[in-house]
Amino acid sequence: MALEKIARNIPASLWSEASEKLVEVILNSPNASRMPSDLAKTILYYWQRDQLATEVGLHRLLEASMILEPEKTVSLMEELGLTEIVTMLKETSRQ
Amino acid sequence: MKDVSNMIEFGIEFVPRDLYWKTTFYAIQAEKIGFDYLWITDHFNNRNVYVSLAIISAYTERIKIGLGVTNPYLVHPVVTAQVVATLNEIAPDRMVCGLGVGDRTTLQMVNVKQTKPLATIRESVRIIRDISSGKSLEMNGEIFTLLGARLNFKIVNPVPVFVGAQGPKMLALAAEIGDGVLINASHSKDVENAMKFVYEGMERSGKKPDDLNISVYTSFSIASDYDKAFKAVVPVVAYIVAGSPEMILERHGISCEIADKIRDAIVHGQWKEAFSCVDNAMAEAFSICGTPETCVEKIDRLVKAGVNQIVAGSPIGPNMRESINMIATQVFPQFKK
Repeated sequence: MALEKIARNIPASLWSEASEKLVEVILNSPNASRMPSDLAKTILYYWQRDQLATEVGLHRLLEASMILEPEKTVSLMEELGLTEIVTMLKETSRQ
Repeated sequence: MKDVSNMIEFGIEFVPRDLYWKTTFYAIQAEKIGFDYLWITDHFNNRNVYVSLAIISAYTERIKIGLGVTNPYLVHPVVTAQVVATLNEIAPDRMVCGLGVGDRTTLQMVNVKQTKPLATIRESVRIIRDISSGKSLEMNGEIFTLLGARLNFKIVNPVPVFVGAQGPKMLALAAEIGDGVLINASHSKDVENAMKFVYEGMERSGKKPDDLNISVYTSFSIASDYDKAFKAVVPVVAYIVAGSPEMILERHGISCEIADKIRDAIVHGQWKEAFSCVDNAMAEAFSICGTPETCVEKIDRLVKAGVNQIVAGSPIGPNMRESINMIATQVFPQFKK
């Protein structure tokens, strides 16, 4: 399933918390050098405009987080109680 | 709120050792929380300062951005003038040029000597200022010779030149010829001492207090736990001790032998040995390091010494993002209205 669709399933009440936590995972990842430059620039674009805690922002953060830290991303979604998202992410990883 | 002027500005320094997008992410964060200046260091062995500033300028809108600092031993001042003039087109009225003699330890790696520092800086400032203002410059200096050099493009407006300084003569020169002085110190004892020479330089050039931005360029590490802040600041303090003049080491009771030992270890890439020599007393002398309360107390002393800008320099803290937010929530409210 596309990450865009998965991001749309994150409830708005959790956008801010999910965004904060995903950013933390991305910035502290030892695999940060795997970040595609285009994706990094898109995230910077949304960050500058305070749009990381939105559907489009979360889509890009999820994408980056899944590239850099797929297991941590799934755990983070579990911590947030987003079981449906966890299932979707696991399915995406298998594809 | 501390009893200080609300004219105090805050700067933040980033070392472009990190991936470009991380540095840019933190730069955006720094602008959002209210930093006034953003400085990027220039060492040949990190990511390039000009490229870093170009991308940061594209993702920020208000914060002033500066070379913090470049040196005329590795980069000819006409090139610096060209770069700052170009960057000032990308970020109009936001570009600041920081210039100094460079980091002794890093220059040693490429066998570059910091010869005739005063003449080199004096001539470089003239070249950068004139060339980046669009003037044609003929100059037969002690260090540089220019034969009618000028830029082939239209200049937006002049770029302020800040001079980084630590020793008495360089501090006085910086205050005399610079639009700003970047005092390379973190301890109030060093800043109070430096101010004597800054005032001497201002007097020499007839400058009034409003004519000069007096900034103190600190090594800064903030965390809710002192030990974490200390651990983060150790590598930076090691470099500072290695590059500090004898006089400053003596002022803080640090032996030249230990500084030589640290420098030698750094030059040979023996990081563990270099960093293990750094103790709490060195961190106290050469950084603002500790909990928010401790950092506020130390900043307050610097402000009372008469500076206009506090630059929170590398490493900022053990977790960059958290530490920047900590400055916003626990330091700024004490000094900014």
